[in-house]
Amino acid sequence: MEKKNKYKILLIEPSEIVSAGMQAIIARHPEFTIVQTLTTPGYYNAQNSDIDIIIINPAVVDYNERFNIRSYFGKENVTIVALTQESYEESVLRQYNGCIGIYDSAQRIAQKLKSAVEEATQTPKSDINELSTRERDILTAVAKGKTNKEIADEFNISIYTVISHRRNISQKLGINSIPGLTVYAIMNKLVDITDFN
Amino acid sequence: MKLAELIGADNSLLSILQRLNIRLGFGEATVEDICTRYNISTGLFLEICNIYSFRHYQPHIEALTESDVANITTYLRTSHKFYSEVCFPAIHNSIHCLVKELDDVNRRLIDKFYDDYDNEVTNHFKYEEEVVFPYIEAMLAGGSSGDEAYHISKFEDNHSNISEKLNDLKNIIIKYLPEEHSSALRFNLLNDIYAVESDLRKHSLIENKLLIPLVEIMEKKNGKEK
Repeated sequence: MEKKNKYKILLIEPSEIVSAGMQAIIARHPEFTIVQTLTTPGYYNAQNSDIDIIIINPAVVDYNERFNIRSYFGKENVTIVALTQESYEESVLRQYNGCIGIYDSAQRIAQKLKSAVEEATQTPKSDINELSTRERDILTAVAKGKTNKEIADEFNISIYTVISHRRNISQKLGINSIPGLTVYAIMNKLVDITDFN
Repeated sequence: MKLAELIGADNSLLSILQRLNIRLGFGEATVEDICTRYNISTGLFLEICNIYSFRHYQPHIEALTESDVANITTYLRTSHKFYSEVCFPAIHNSIHCLVKELDDVNRRLIDKFYDDYDNEVTNHFKYEEEVVFPYIEAMLAGGSSGDEAYHISKFEDNHSNISEKLNDLKNIIIKYLPEEHSSALRFNLLNDIYAVESDLRKHSLIENKLLIPLVEIMEKKNGKEK
């Protein structure tokens, strides 16, 4: 997504109160504008959209599609941000470019939207790239059973960055589960099968 | 509409007839006739048909009542039986043939990955059949259920996603498993995986969007709080 002066936002949130609150907050930031609000993604039409950012409450995403957010919306180059009122599995949130919590301040929300857009711009298209060296290192650590915290410490990066790498790895490979990633890592000799005996 | 015409319009609905134990040879009977004959509400029958025919159909319970719950659990049980007696054994068989032509490391990898997945699926079904369905059936039979502490929302918590690993397996076979010999085997296997994956997706829609909301209504009536 190229850099724009004004990002067009689609807000999908079932609660009228929350939806109105988000609209009021975003209205204070001239670089963003909400062009459409929906209560469920069922009414979303991929064809008619020049939307840059989709802000969606993960609770309204069909449970079976929760690992396929991007294909669910049928759009490659859109920034998707979760608006959460409760906690979710990390692997679910990994699908989003960013995550806004219900208690975030107005300023924090604007920051998060900006960094989500940046993050989405940097995300390589899945069909072009092989894994980067850093991604291979992180995949190796994941296959060895390390937690995100351990990986963050080992590589001296934030947990958020680890999560973002993991999302990119899964997107490129089309493999989400840890056992699946382990199979890939062994097949490609990133780790040795004897490590698991 | 005649049931035969409905099947003519979308043959994937045949598997629904099978799972609702509707026998063939029904002549010119309409959908309504058959539903009455088999004691299934037309509303439920059509919801299930819509789920199967339209990929993005979002089921809802407006047309349904508590009396549909027993038919839904019967449907889900038969569906499990179909998965564990037909679909997964076929996939297992193909995997078994597939690993024979792999080197030792890859053979162990694929075998282990699939066996773990198989266990996960078995446990998932077992949990539903031994805990969830009996809980619902007890509630249907006697108002309150045996297990006072249980609540259907626990079902959702336990409802681990069994299609994630299937998706991984697909991509491993399509993209990463070195191919030497029998292509046909792999193509058939992939088609089988795609088919069961799509069926499982519909299966969990029926669980999440029809069964759970209906049971929640029953629980409320019985004065159960979350």
